[in-house]
Amino acid sequence: MNPLLSRRQLLLTSVAAPFANAQSIGIGGPVGHKILVIGAGLAGLNAALILEQWGFDVEVVEARDRVGGRLWTLDHMPGAPEGGGNVIGSGYGRVIYRAHELDVPLRTPPSALPSDYQIGGQRIPRSDWAVADANPLPDDWREIHPERLLAKLNEDNPLLKTRAWHHVDLMAQDQPADVGLRSLGFPESAIRLINANNSYGNHLSDTSLMGLYRVLGEFGRLSGPALAVTEVTQGNMRLPEAMANRLTRPVSLNEPVLRIRQTPAGIKATLTSGRTLDADAAVIAVPLPALGQIALDLPPDRRALLKSVAYHKVVQLHCIVDEPFWEAAGWSGSWWTDGQLGRIFTRPIPDSTRHNMTIWINGDDCDRLNALDADACTDMILSALWKLVPEAKGVTSVGQLVRWTTDPFAGGAWALWKPGQAGSAHDAIRAPTGRLFFAGEHTAEAYRGMEAAMESGERAALEVLRLLA
Amino acid sequence: MRRAAGHRIGLGLIVCLLDTAPMAEPLSGEALFAVACEACHSLGPEPDHRIGPPLGGLHGRKAAGVRGFGYSPALQASGWVWTLPTTVAWLSDPDAAIPNNAMNYVNALSAEETQRLAEWLLAQP
Repeated sequence: MNPLLSRRQLLLTSVAAPFANAQSIGIGGPVGHKILVIGAGLAGLNAALILEQWGFDVEVVEARDRVGGRLWTLDHMPGAPEGGGNVIGSGYGRVIYRAHELDVPLRTPPSALPSDYQIGGQRIPRSDWAVADANPLPDDWREIHPERLLAKLNEDNPLLKTRAWHHVDLMAQDQPADVGLRSLGFPESAIRLINANNSYGNHLSDTSLMGLYRVLGEFGRLSGPALAVTEVTQGNMRLPEAMANRLTRPVSLNEPVLRIRQTPAGIKATLTSGRTLDADAAVIAVPLPALGQIALDLPPDRRALLKSVAYHKVVQLHCIVDEPFWEAAGWSGSWWTDGQLGRIFTRPIPDSTRHNMTIWINGDDCDRLNALDADACTDMILSALWKLVPEAKGVTSVGQLVRWTTDPFAGGAWALWKPGQAGSAHDAIRAPTGRLFFAGEHTAEAYRGMEAAMESGERAALEVLRLLA
Repeated sequence: MRRAAGHRIGLGLIVCLLDTAPMAEPLSGEALFAVACEACHSLGPEPDHRIGPPLGGLHGRKAAGVRGFGYSPALQASGWVWTLPTTVAWLSDPDAAIPNNAMNYVNALSAEETQRLAEWLLAQP
């Protein structure tokens, strides 16, 4: 049976008898509704697929020259490293379902090499961490490796017991994370190390402790096989590409939206190309910094709220290493530093003697890099790399600089929650306004990352169905 | 003053637009399942590629009752049996119903939708 007809029959005969005539109309939805989806990342594409399954006429417009949003497989590099979302958690049910449905194979990623440390200018072999003079932690904390310090939060994490991360009873925790960590007994040296490479905040003083509890809770509920992750075998971009290919209408690329107006009959979108599109409703599935560039009929307080949400700053320099220079020097191949380079993740390229090396700098340390042009930024990172590991020079080449903050269609890697925002901002930024519906990882309730995008698209599709089905 | 008046006009327009938005018929239990559940749960008898357990023949089944599916210890120890009240309670707030469960799901449905979904689900063979 045609799945479209099956879905439509299911919807109409069950609850929507007044629309029964539309069932025989064919393509065009129960009442011929058209939905405009803005943004062809996972959130927008998932919403589009669900709505199209229900018979809506769906058009997706995308500002970039590709689909995928913050999934970006660097296909032009050996090993095709991920410049964006990189791992699929075992609990990412919607991602795994779509991949299976669309015959997009997943695999276990090659493991990154273990990290050694560079702390206070001193190189510390991983195995020496607990006893190294350069380990700044007090005696009862010394055995905890820097990348594991934040996980100490799970010893007293209210979000291990509930996923209601903005429940009013927990809002005392919606405080600056550094203050919260101090009150929990984290030593200053541990707070400094967490701040050096915190993927979940640009600076702890400007990050909600509740936001960190949320992240750690997600990991803390997993154990054993549930901790395993996968990736798309041929690159994570293949999933949004397959989703886009499943849609009836091709995604319109290179089409930034300039303005959306609501009218009594629907919405009218004006694209920067000059095209105008009329639809019965729109799902806006773009990151908030990109949303801020679209003229919308939003109340001033809602618009101010959208602008107040911070995005995580990430700069990545993706390199290719021809020879494992670290072996002769007795190092493991990856590094965790409290300096300019942040973290360096090295992983083997399957069926090759070469390695992908990603220098991953995040948080406010990105500011001075983002102020430079691409060449100067790359040079600054490489200079620091040669200083850290002179052996890398001559066998390491640059493949791609990735800067999410300066990307006008992203504005950062993912949404962060400032102190005070966990309790208030999250509900408000996703609330539908008339015929405008909002999706994107920043609007998800249960998940973060790729699954958050999928979850949000599903919820936005449900909201559209409630209005128009 | 002028700007404030403009804001009032803008807000009035939005309220007006909200008032003119069409109201659809309620979504059926089957439709709600298809949108909100189907990615993780089949209606078949056995586990498949989905990450959640199959939900066919749920009515009267013991919680954690499908052989071959890796349920959380919390669900296994819950002693729950799936009836309308337990299913509604579970869907409404899984964490409150059975703490430490493995279903990472926050209900986006209204109370009426949750009830309709549970009734439909429990009627499936």
